[in-house]
Amino acid sequence: MNARRILTVMHKEWREMVRDPLSLVMGFVLPFALMLLIGFGMTFDVENIPLAIVDRDGSAASRDYAYRFIGSRYFDFKGYLADERKAAPLLMDGKLRAVIVIAERFERDLLAGRPAAVQVLLDGAFPDRVRITKGYISAINAAATRELIAGYLSRRDGIPAAQANELLQPFGLEMRYLYNQGVKSDWSIPPKLIMFILFFVPAFMTSLRVVREKETGTIFNIYTSPLTRVEFLLAKLAPYVAIALVNLVVLWLLAVLVFRAPFKGSFTLFFAAGALYVIATTCIGMLVSVFVRTQIAAMLISLVITFVPALQYSELEEPVTSMDPEGQLITYLLPGMHYVRVIMGTFLKNVGLEVLWPEALTLAVQAGGLFFACYLLFHKRVKA
Amino acid sequence: MIRPAASRALRWWRQLQVMTVKELLQVARDTPLMLFFVFAFTVQIVMGGGRPGFELRNALLHVRDADNSAASRELASRFRPPYYVFHGAGGRPDAATRLLDRGDAMVVMDIPEGFERALAQGRPTAVQVQVDTTNSAVGLLAATYAQQIAADYATEIALARAGITAGELQSLPVIREEQRAWFNPNQDNRWFFSVGDMVMMVTLLTILLSTAALAREKERGTVEQLLVSPLSPLQILLPKVLAMTLVVVAGTMVSVFAVLGPVFSMPLQGSLPLFFTITAIYGFTSSGLGLFAATVTRNLSQAGLLAIFLFVPIILFSGIHTPDEGMPGWLHTIVLFNPMAHYIDATYSILLRGAGLDLVWDSVLAMALLGAAVFGFGVWRFRRQFE
Repeated sequence: MNARRILTVMHKEWREMVRDPLSLVMGFVLPFALMLLIGFGMTFDVENIPLAIVDRDGSAASRDYAYRFIGSRYFDFKGYLADERKAAPLLMDGKLRAVIVIAERFERDLLAGRPAAVQVLLDGAFPDRVRITKGYISAINAAATRELIAGYLSRRDGIPAAQANELLQPFGLEMRYLYNQGVKSDWSIPPKLIMFILFFVPAFMTSLRVVREKETGTIFNIYTSPLTRVEFLLAKLAPYVAIALVNLVVLWLLAVLVFRAPFKGSFTLFFAAGALYVIATTCIGMLVSVFVRTQIAAMLISLVITFVPALQYSELEEPVTSMDPEGQLITYLLPGMHYVRVIMGTFLKNVGLEVLWPEALTLAVQAGGLFFACYLLFHKRVKA
Repeated sequence: MIRPAASRALRWWRQLQVMTVKELLQVARDTPLMLFFVFAFTVQIVMGGGRPGFELRNALLHVRDADNSAASRELASRFRPPYYVFHGAGGRPDAATRLLDRGDAMVVMDIPEGFERALAQGRPTAVQVQVDTTNSAVGLLAATYAQQIAADYATEIALARAGITAGELQSLPVIREEQRAWFNPNQDNRWFFSVGDMVMMVTLLTILLSTAALAREKERGTVEQLLVSPLSPLQILLPKVLAMTLVVVAGTMVSVFAVLGPVFSMPLQGSLPLFFTITAIYGFTSSGLGLFAATVTRNLSQAGLLAIFLFVPIILFSGIHTPDEGMPGWLHTIVLFNPMAHYIDATYSILLRGAGLDLVWDSVLAMALLGAAVFGFGVWRFRRQFE
């Protein structure tokens, strides 16, 4: 390895970058702007569910019951419907997500001491949201049922309603939400976005670097030069790793200062693991670049193979424990999840290398392995 | 004089055809790219369809039972798979924090000493549950389910003490709910995610391919050749959009007939011709966005970065990842201009809910208007940039 040769090629890369100032500026503005836009917009909270009620009974009791839903912040009450047939097209069009149908004899049944029937129709197209909506509805119904039983007990045993209600709750759960006290998605999303954005942006920027020289033919200058493969790859990667490192710090600052996410752990650990992570993602871009022949293919492949896993196989959304074995394998093989663990450990949990060493080690192995793969795939000879 | 006009129209049409074939050939000759298309519309959809979603599955549960009574064991045993996996018991008080820190447990439950006695004597008591909410959506599910399980158990104990049996409960004034999820009765995640992934692939490929197709011509200078040819800007740009639209419509056909039906046994409810027509309209709109990115930039690197800035928010705020109801108000307004949000609406309505054009026409109209505006701007910019 010859440091002067590496510096020469790096200098050439740098000149190229400076002569395309818009790309360079966008390389910094894009992560910044994405962080703000997604950080403020993304949420997994299921609230304001559009709801309609079909009140076939039209009694005082059924109206009281309906108000449990109308008053809930989880539902956005769109109005009463005359019957279920009116609900079908609205559910089909996605204008309503839930319809509560109160049966005709609702009040009469309750007064007679019989169970009263309520039917819930849900738009099943979004299973995640259906599960949560079902939970909200069941909780409201459970509360209503408990009050009704308490009323029955107080009448039967001649005790005050409040006492009866207390009797029905012999123990409670004291919930403690760790690391994210308000269970606000806001705290966990912006830090994870650092991983998300630095997965595909560096990979894309690097993916054009070699294939561009192949398309324009300047790669033959490299082929005929005394430059070794390692020197060439290092010189090509270094400027993009440097850009990504600046972005790493900028995104961290945004997470802490703008989104007010608590950062409890060691910045050194966050940054060192982040450096390994961006080396890995930059190398993914390089790997695509040495593999394909056209810039179009490089752009498309590098973006899809980084953007999709950044979204799906990284613990940005669902945790690895709930995935099926294939999904788990992909998640463990890619760098995203390992860095998310370091991010969560240093941001919300305050744990150090004593807990996070497996993640740090994995990132190091991935960065090294990906660089080695680039080395194996890049040849200074045109394939016949 | 109808003849010259007719022959002009015919020539215009032939030129458009030739250019479209040229675009398609360019794509077809790129072998890695072709392989990638096949991957994107088959393997990727199969894998994406297998996502678990925000479902509570295998949450690691650690129980510290200081009471060790029948009641406490009963409570702990109600935390069952597939939601919770019993992952350990006991340990000193500070061990809980360490377990949660390391991710060795997601839920730690502490049952106090004298739990059973308190229940028997009717004294109020509490069980402490600590939940790791670094993943807020799943953490919230774990907490909600825990509360449901505890409430059910508590009610059972209370009713037994009041001398009410489970059978008698059916002759008490209670609310009996019957929940039915239409269109996907078993909440099969795969139906949701596979369609979502297909739509995401259509978006990614149309935006990126059309960006790349134009940016490359600009970078190589072949666009100058096109400009001096007898082609109008419309005849240069429209074939690129048409070619990409054809590619993605073919791709969705492969997905629908080879994956959604056979692999995920999705009951394709609505009209498939309607769905493919809407896909073509969306392909036009979203390729138009790609052309826009390429017309306002100078090379592929700039165009690609701008395309990222377009497709990332378009995908994340389409309704698949962030529920539209939960979005902040300012975002709601922006999402009206997100063509993928309209395409998603129409796609789920047609494929899953069996809706027809009478219900989804508004989404289709919004997509077409957005497409016409974006494409019109692209043609206008394209002409201007060389003047």
